[in-house]
Amino acid sequence: MSNAAVATMERKPMPGMKVYNKKLGMWVFLLSEVMFFTSLIGSYIILRFAHPEHWTNPGVVLNVPLTATNTFLLICSSVTMVKAFAAIQQGDVTGLKRWLLATIVIGAGFVGIQMVEYVALSGEGFLPALDAYHAVGRGNPHEGPSLGGPLYGATFYAMTGFHGAHVSIGVLCLIFVYIQAVRGKYTLADHEGVEIIGLYWHFVDLVWIILFTIVYLI
Amino acid sequence: MEEQEHAHPRYILIWVVLLVLTLAEVGYAFMDLPKIWLAIGLIIMAVWKALLVALYYMHLIYEPKRLWVLAVSPLPLAVILVLAVITEF
Amino acid sequence: MSMTTTSEAHTAHAEEHHELGFIRTYIFSTDHKMIARQFLFTALLFLLLGGALAVLIRWQLGFPGQPLPGGGILPETMAPGGIILPEFYNSLVTMHATFMVFFALMPLMAGVFGNLLIPLQIGADDMAFPRLNMASFWITPVAGFMMLASFFVEGGAAGAGWTSYAPLSASGEWTGVYLGQQLWLASLIVLGFSSITGAINYVCTVINMRAPGMTWFRIPLATWSLFITAWLLLLAIPILTGGLILLLFDQTIGTAFFRPEGSGEPLLWQHIFWFFGHPEVYILILPAMGFVSEVIACRSRKPIFGYHSMVVALVSIAFLGWVVWGHHMFQSGMNPLLGMTFVVTTVVIAVPSAIKTFNWMGTLWRGDIHYDTPLLHAVSFVALFIIGGLSGIFMASAPVDIYIHDTYFIVAHLHYVLVGGSLFGIFAGITFWYPKMFGRMMNEGLGKVHWALSFIFYNLAFFPMHNLGVQGMMRRIYDPNQYEYLQSLQPTNTFISINVFLFAAVQAIFAFNFLWSLKKGKVAGNNPWKSNTLLWTTPSPPPHGNFPEMPIVYRGPYEYSSPEVEEDYYPQDRPPPLSSSGGHTVEVPNPEPVPGD
Repeated sequence: MSNAAVATMERKPMPGMKVYNKKLGMWVFLLSEVMFFTSLIGSYIILRFAHPEHWTNPGVVLNVPLTATNTFLLICSSVTMVKAFAAIQQGDVTGLKRWLLATIVIGAGFVGIQMVEYVALSGEGFLPALDAYHAVGRGNPHEGPSLGGPLYGATFYAMTGFHGAHVSIGVLCLIFVYIQAVRGKYTLADHEGVEIIGLYWHFVDLVWIILFTIVYLI
Repeated sequence: MEEQEHAHPRYILIWVVLLVLTLAEVGYAFMDLPKIWLAIGLIIMAVWKALLVALYYMHLIYEPKRLWVLAVSPLPLAVILVLAVITEF
Repeated sequence: MSMTTTSEAHTAHAEEHHELGFIRTYIFSTDHKMIARQFLFTALLFLLLGGALAVLIRWQLGFPGQPLPGGGILPETMAPGGIILPEFYNSLVTMHATFMVFFALMPLMAGVFGNLLIPLQIGADDMAFPRLNMASFWITPVAGFMMLASFFVEGGAAGAGWTSYAPLSASGEWTGVYLGQQLWLASLIVLGFSSITGAINYVCTVINMRAPGMTWFRIPLATWSLFITAWLLLLAIPILTGGLILLLFDQTIGTAFFRPEGSGEPLLWQHIFWFFGHPEVYILILPAMGFVSEVIACRSRKPIFGYHSMVVALVSIAFLGWVVWGHHMFQSGMNPLLGMTFVVTTVVIAVPSAIKTFNWMGTLWRGDIHYDTPLLHAVSFVALFIIGGLSGIFMASAPVDIYIHDTYFIVAHLHYVLVGGSLFGIFAGITFWYPKMFGRMMNEGLGKVHWALSFIFYNLAFFPMHNLGVQGMMRRIYDPNQYEYLQSLQPTNTFISINVFLFAAVQAIFAFNFLWSLKKGKVAGNNPWKSNTLLWTTPSPPPHGNFPEMPIVYRGPYEYSSPEVEEDYYPQDRPPPLSSSGGHTVEVPNPEPVPGD
């Protein structure tokens, strides 16, 4: 390129990652989240290798059918989220709002079901604290023997609790995005906010896919 | 945005595959197999589901390859940490 | 944020700023340069606090059992009659390290220089996410307040070491410290968000906001080192956060992740902590290496020797830094085979650091060296980092480490790299970039006196610690005289303490110079050091938006003493001379349109 041409060219930054800043920012943030869940999930894996007797077979203490349904719900919410994004990509604001609302409702439902699950589990003595742990398993009488050990409870609540917190924060952010959508802030040309909350939401679903498998099924 | 220039991934199809895999996982988990085969099979299915979400719902398959490198960068670290510490026990 | 090509928009921007008012300009600013200043003042205050805690530690070791002058103001729970209690001493060693590492060095490295240098050196108008940047700063004083508060709660501040090993740290019954330890954990959990959000900003800004022509291998080494450091922060801090949360659960809700009585694993804490902790120490040194590269090249009027290998070395250190963490744990009872792999990786990681060291020396060799304060600090960095690195080789060998682990040999090593290295590197950075931040030069005479006295007292204080360690003096110990074989070391400890006090006192010269020069320093002009980077093309201090229009970059940052021009420097954005005949064209990669933004 000649100097004359350089002097008159329109100045734009180097192409870099070839995605816009907010999207790159969300991906980079999600990498840090991967490491955060690594420390929690990694601790669980390591403690389980060290003390396998603290865990039981799947389904004995934890409610697999309920959580499998919850997993299905969260996956559905990923679909509604991606439909919301696809809608605004076509400039369909009504569709955007509708699918966002569906995502919010399902996401909140996920958290609600998880809370119901927590109440049931703690009622059955499945608790995180060392002194309080006395898990009698699903449907067993309260005076039954303790199944597994306190590490089971501690790691369970740590992993699923922080995941649930991330889902809850996601729901709040989705509500914010919904409000912005109602105010007409998103158009065919500019809907970065929808895409990046979508990325966060799918990530939260992705983490759950891993968690559901290794916490409930293994 | 570039996404409008190429075909939509078939979101509903992916959803059906995810549903099938979830049911398969639950069924598989209760089969009478040695623990190691259960674990390996379940992890394969979980990773398959995770990849589907990442590639299609998060649109990674349409993003520049350099973003893929970025996206996978924490994974080797996670593997190293867990595998190294497991050797302690 | 898109750049305009006229200066009218810049003027409008400046006028807009004028209407922002005091709060938006000085308190809740989104301008990266103001945020850098905010980090600077906060970090220097914490550096002062960390230093004061060190003085207390050295009082106990140098003058054991004697009342501290003025110690009467300390409460009975800490130092009745001015005599430091053993429990308080444990808190002192813990909090000295905690404040220095987390609240002084990290904010100085990443918060100050990341914010100041990155946009200016790459030709951007600000960070990618200015409001997130503002939040990133404000989290730091909040976390700092929590940490400070821990001194004043019942049981006092955390006393389990900055490494907070379980089970000592997992339950208050061993230390008598309950709330203090919990505040320590909570404070660091909060502070982690500052690091992570800062890192997101730095990574995205460097990737996406470089001026046209600023290819990866034309980025100045200071920005390169900060970019790599940001990756380490991004991926390491969340690991610590997870571990801190689990430990906090052990402390508060009675879980037993790390408590053996509940089948918890203390070794798991060590692995989690050091998996973070080793990248952490590279976070503390890599930016300083970047500053030193800038200063040495500029003040020797020579290109940096081996620029590409410098970048490769930075990246190698960052990669290798993830697989050496076990060398902090050789004596922990870890799997010996695992330990052996860490010996190998640790020895290997010395290689890229050595490459950098030889490159700095190669840069200085036969340079037209200007012996000003930044250069003196930068060269001190190289010398002292060599000493710190060499002691590291001893520690890398697990059999040798059997003898020197948790002794003063380790204390000597860590202070050589963190003070001799990081702190002198920070002094180089502050003295070099002060004119750009504040528009005035620091006083050279005072700068040289501060440097010389700091260098002398620092070495007199810390070099003998190698010997103390080899003689068997353990670290974190309140009273070495309880062991007969250590009693002969008391004169050395007293000697060390006196030099630490002198080193601390000498910092008053720096503080005075810093504050005095804000108003009375010589006015700096755009480029007092005649440096090549885009940063020095701006006014001192730069206005909002930094550049009237986005610069175009034609060459790398180290074209000093270039045969192509008469002066001994050739700024990155100066167009090459127009061709007469033969068609001299410039290679400027044609930027593709960026989607969306």
